[in-house]
Amino acid sequence: MLLLAVALWRAIREQPAGAETRRARASALARTLDDATRGDRIGALDVAVDAMPSPVERDWLAALRRAGVAVRWSGAVPTLALTAERVREPAAPLRLLLAADTGAVSLSDSAGTLDTLRASAGGVMLEAPEVVGAVRARQGSFAATAAPPSPTDRRAVLVLGRASWESRFVLAALSEAGWEVRARLPAAPGVAVTDPGLLPIDTARYDAVVLLDSTAADLAPAIARFVAAGGGVVAAGSATTLETLRAVVPARAGVRRPGRILLDGDSTTRADLPLRPLTSLRADAIALERQSAGIAAAARRAGSGRALSVGYDESWRWRMLGGASGPAAHRAWWSRTVGLVASDRDVARHDGSGDAAPTAALVSTLGPPAPPAARATTGDGDPLPLALLIALAVALLAEIASRRFRGAR
Amino acid sequence: MSDFVFATAQYESGDWDSAPLLPANIIDTIARYTSIDVAPTGVIVPLSSPALFRYPLVYLTGHLPVRFTSGERDNLRAYAERGGLLFVDDHNHDVDGTFHKTATEELTRVYGALHPVPNTHPLYRTFFHFDDGPPTTSHELNGWGDNLVHKTLSGVERQGRLTLLYSNKDYSSEWNYHPDNKRFLSVDNTKFAVNLVVYALTR
Repeated sequence: MLLLAVALWRAIREQPAGAETRRARASALARTLDDATRGDRIGALDVAVDAMPSPVERDWLAALRRAGVAVRWSGAVPTLALTAERVREPAAPLRLLLAADTGAVSLSDSAGTLDTLRASAGGVMLEAPEVVGAVRARQGSFAATAAPPSPTDRRAVLVLGRASWESRFVLAALSEAGWEVRARLPAAPGVAVTDPGLLPIDTARYDAVVLLDSTAADLAPAIARFVAAGGGVVAAGSATTLETLRAVVPARAGVRRPGRILLDGDSTTRADLPLRPLTSLRADAIALERQSAGIAAAARRAGSGRALSVGYDESWRWRMLGGASGPAAHRAWWSRTVGLVASDRDVARHDGSGDAAPTAALVSTLGPPAPPAARATTGDGDPLPLALLIALAVALLAEIASRRFRGAR
Repeated sequence: MSDFVFATAQYESGDWDSAPLLPANIIDTIARYTSIDVAPTGVIVPLSSPALFRYPLVYLTGHLPVRFTSGERDNLRAYAERGGLLFVDDHNHDVDGTFHKTATEELTRVYGALHPVPNTHPLYRTFFHFDDGPPTTSHELNGWGDNLVHKTLSGVERQGRLTLLYSNKDYSSEWNYHPDNKRFLSVDNTKFAVNLVVYALTR
């Protein structure tokens, strides 16, 4: 009887705060969140994620969980993450990096659709000249949003090399790509074709320095300081063997291998160029390009800057002998190579408008998905008191009935 | 492989080989004044050949009428687009001569209109300084040709770089001698060729 009394009391007592389990869909979550916050009857919240909760809603759910509400979520949420970054080149196109499942993902900005992509091997990349507002990747009812950084003015590039076709065409490629280029090109002992105001070499004046050979030996200490302070350096050929830059460059150029430039051909590609395969690759360097003869380009971080070694020799032949597309390909490659090491001056937006990796954020905030509760309950979500009450009531009735049938009084 | 190989253009019409001693003389000059890695011998390259693109600076001269073939025109267009510099010298130093009239007509078809190259152009300061523009040759007033001192050169620029340089000053005669004979000159008259080569290699 005592047990029955306890169960009865627990069953009929006033409902404690958060006693109810509420189910809600993520696409219509606002009302439930409001109820859970203002009211005192919701003790558990099962969210069926049919659309990506906004960052505010995720934070709200996390706050409710910390306040004692049992928050669970379930649903088939696709992998979706989007990053927007500026390519460090004068045109500063936007590079969109998307991580997604295999389905089609629609990319759009404030002005409309940019493209529809299918990720392979978990990711896909798109370059857009410019976008309006934030970029959104949408897969069904799920979306990730990235706010692109604002483009910033680039500094000049300093090219150091002897008077040669390589120097001349690297200058041409970079200036045609929009870089402001300054150069010092020795043509004779004590005589160099030099742009005025070349020195000092610092990050306030230059984004990167391109060393095409060892004629820059006298400036190597200044270049090492420049890289340590955040500048970039591209070292090709004998420039990679300069003693002063040994601690900076990712690798050294080896013995020259002849290219496959045909006498009567007009189809030279980068793979056909003479190559000095990179050797002595440092442990923290990354090989960026490989050819059959060996590593053709490698990069590493050096101090606050970046350094890149190039093994290609006479890249100008690619431009001149690469057919109609040769100049554009040569120009794009050199601009991209310099952009890889150029100082990062983009200003990232931290206005909270982006939601770049909502799936990861959801799991990070609320944990992995969990199945919803079997049914709504009372009493702090504990079904025991009600069941116990019923069981005891049945037992009592059975006892009374038994006594009646037996004639007991 | 050398950084610089002196290349003479061979074309179907005319006398493309009218200054046979000039290449060796200019190669000597480049080696004498600069540290440029220059090939000891020049090459002859047909204008219609893909081999043209191996030589980003090519010298062309002649006395006779010039008519490019369609293959030569197409190759020259691509050559200009890729950044090659064609240096053309009127061996007649005669603005009324057949070479000048036909060559400029052909070049205009390929490159567009030729314009005077100002005497303040970097070409005249890139190694030696020629404050008055292109140096006068001893042949301009020799009684042949138009008997004029041509004050400027002509050319066509693309993206701020010369892709065509045209001269009526007859450097083909002025520089067409054995390099050993430089010792008889009080002033080396081939210095402007250094500027031309250094300009091509650095701009």
